Amino acid sequence: MARFKHNARRNKKWGSAKPPVLKKQPPSVDHVTGSKIPKSFVFARGKLPGPLKQLELDLRKMMLPYTALKLKEKKRNTLKDFLNVAGPMGVTHFLILSNPKSVPHLRVARTPQGPTLTFEIHEYALAADIARSQSRPRCPQDLFKNSPLIVLSGFGAGGQHLKHLELMTIMFQNIFPTIDINTVKLASCQRIVLLNYNSEEKLIDFRHYSVRLQPVGVSRRIRKLVQNHQVPDLRNLQDVSDFVTKAGYGSESEPDEEAATVSLASDLDRVNRASTKSAVRLQEIGPRMSLRLVKIEEGLCSGGVIFTEFG
Amino acid sequence: MLYSSAPVGGGSGTRARTVIAMQADPNPMKRKRKPIKSKNPKKKTTMTKPSGAMAAVAEAKRRKPSKRMLKLFKKRAQNYHSDSDDDDEEEVVEEGRRGEATPSGGNDEDGSTDSERGGGSEGDDEGDGEGGHRGGITRFDEGCRAFRVAFSKIMKKKLPYDALGPMLSAHKKLVVEKLAEEEAEHKAKGDAKKEKILASEKGHVKLASFLDAKEKSLIKIATKGVVRLFNEVSKAQISQRGLNPSRTKVAKELAKQRKQTFSPELKKSSTQGHGDHLPFNSSKLSNSVEKENDDEPGWAPLRDSYMLTSSKLKDWDKMPDPAASVGQDVFPMESSSSDEE
Repeated sequence: MARFKHNARRNKKWGSAKPPVLKKQPPSVDHVTGSKIPKSFVFARGKLPGPLKQLELDLRKMMLPYTALKLKEKKRNTLKDFLNVAGPMGVTHFLILSNPKSVPHLRVARTPQGPTLTFEIHEYALAADIARSQSRPRCPQDLFKNSPLIVLSGFGAGGQHLKHLELMTIMFQNIFPTIDINTVKLASCQRIVLLNYNSEEKLIDFRHYSVRLQPVGVSRRIRKLVQNHQVPDLRNLQDVSDFVTKAGYGSESEPDEEAATVSLASDLDRVNRASTKSAVRLQEIGPRMSLRLVKIEEGLCSGGVIFTEFG
Repeated sequence: MLYSSAPVGGGSGTRARTVIAMQADPNPMKRKRKPIKSKNPKKKTTMTKPSGAMAAVAEAKRRKPSKRMLKLFKKRAQNYHSDSDDDDEEEVVEEGRRGEATPSGGNDEDGSTDSERGGGSEGDDEGDGEGGHRGGITRFDEGCRAFRVAFSKIMKKKLPYDALGPMLSAHKKLVVEKLAEEEAEHKAKGDAKKEKILASEKGHVKLASFLDAKEKSLIKIATKGVVRLFNEVSKAQISQRGLNPSRTKVAKELAKQRKQTFSPELKKSSTQGHGDHLPFNSSKLSNSVEKENDDEPGWAPLRDSYMLTSSKLKDWDKMPDPAASVGQDVFPMESSSSDEE
């Protein structure tokens, strides 16, 4: 009996031969724009204390999907090792966290021989801290399926084209893949990275938001009803019209500006339909940092120093 | 016998010790009685029958202790029933017994005295059932009670609480030193750890308040950017949909229109808005500059310049030109927007 079962199991295994499944490689070239999709590695040099390790993970998550989420680095890996791997895999940028003299630094570099920007992280807050401080943290499932959009602000202020500012803008723009306006689906733009330059303090605020669209002009109750599919409590009401037309109090978080409304190009989901007004609501996710540019080097963590803050 | 005359240990313990030692007294009596009884009850009787002169002496002694014993027994019974912890009485009684025991032990053989006493008690047993019983019980209870008294005395006594426990003084000093050292080490380690943790948390801001004014302004900026992007997307896509794909001419016109509308639009929005437009814009612009009237296919690989143009990042230091020109526009925009806010 046992043997019979054993044989049966074996036959089952051999009988159904599955065709080898090819793992889908992430595209290296964008079909529409024709430009190479930038990929990045986020790793750390040196030993990082606890919160900084968390920051590294948060940054990795932010750079999804075009980054190695589970990149394993060992102590003996040098920069050269990463460079060697980066070539064949088509990795274009490195984000390197380090902690020299217990001041956290972030280096943004372009491989293979591009410039390196070194930032000193003045303050940071982890994604977990932010989620804890919010009353309703939001993380829809495929939030990280698409790369984020980047919004730069304040870099041209002052009327001076400071070279380093321009270099920074270009660098950051190129870290994230470009989008084609004509064909992009609004549903795929779900994350925003904001870099705001404060010229008095020379600090760059780094924020990471998730985008949510809310139909405008729909009362809160109806919207909740449609979204949650929960049968409302109509005990105290005489008529359905009471439910529909009840004037609700305006909550603080309600969008109160005309500036925030858009009319959508296409249907997003059941609630947000094309050519109806919707409001854009951002909720912060991900790490929060304030960076200060320290130096720019010509090579990849080497080469001549083009700019120093304290020079 | 079992009791020791020299006290061992602290002075306070002597009394208890002597009392305890006392307690050994009746038992050996009993014990000695029992085996004798168990082995040879007959023999005992034989032993209790001494020879003439001895018999007289024994008898005399027998009477004496028996009466005295009776008194004693009564006293003990009283004590037992009175339930008073009268140590002095106990002591007197004990010493009395002791006094009795020693001369009796000293004078005669142990066996005879035992037998006498045993006989006496037996006689009491036989003669006076209750008394004898009481005698037996009180003796046992006497022992119990004395033990109880001793125990309560010990419990009452408050020993100095020494963390190191009872030990010799020199060793004590050593141990104290060691403990002090260990504590100092622990303290040092604890301080070092705290410093380490502080250093690792440097720069890490635990959010005190989540939505304060600065954050709100940042969110507004980001929202504006997103809104602009979406508006343009909607414009582009709706117009595209409107004049729907019949490739050739319409597409050409569309492409032209798009390029024309984009460049002024994007110059306005530029770096205050969408970074992602700029590279797109620049590549498109460069293309449009070179070949304006070509029908550029939508799919990148079909374009002639696919992968052949210098990648935009080789000339990263030259790139700023469109950005620079755009940057100049940004400044008035920036100030106006800040005025609005």
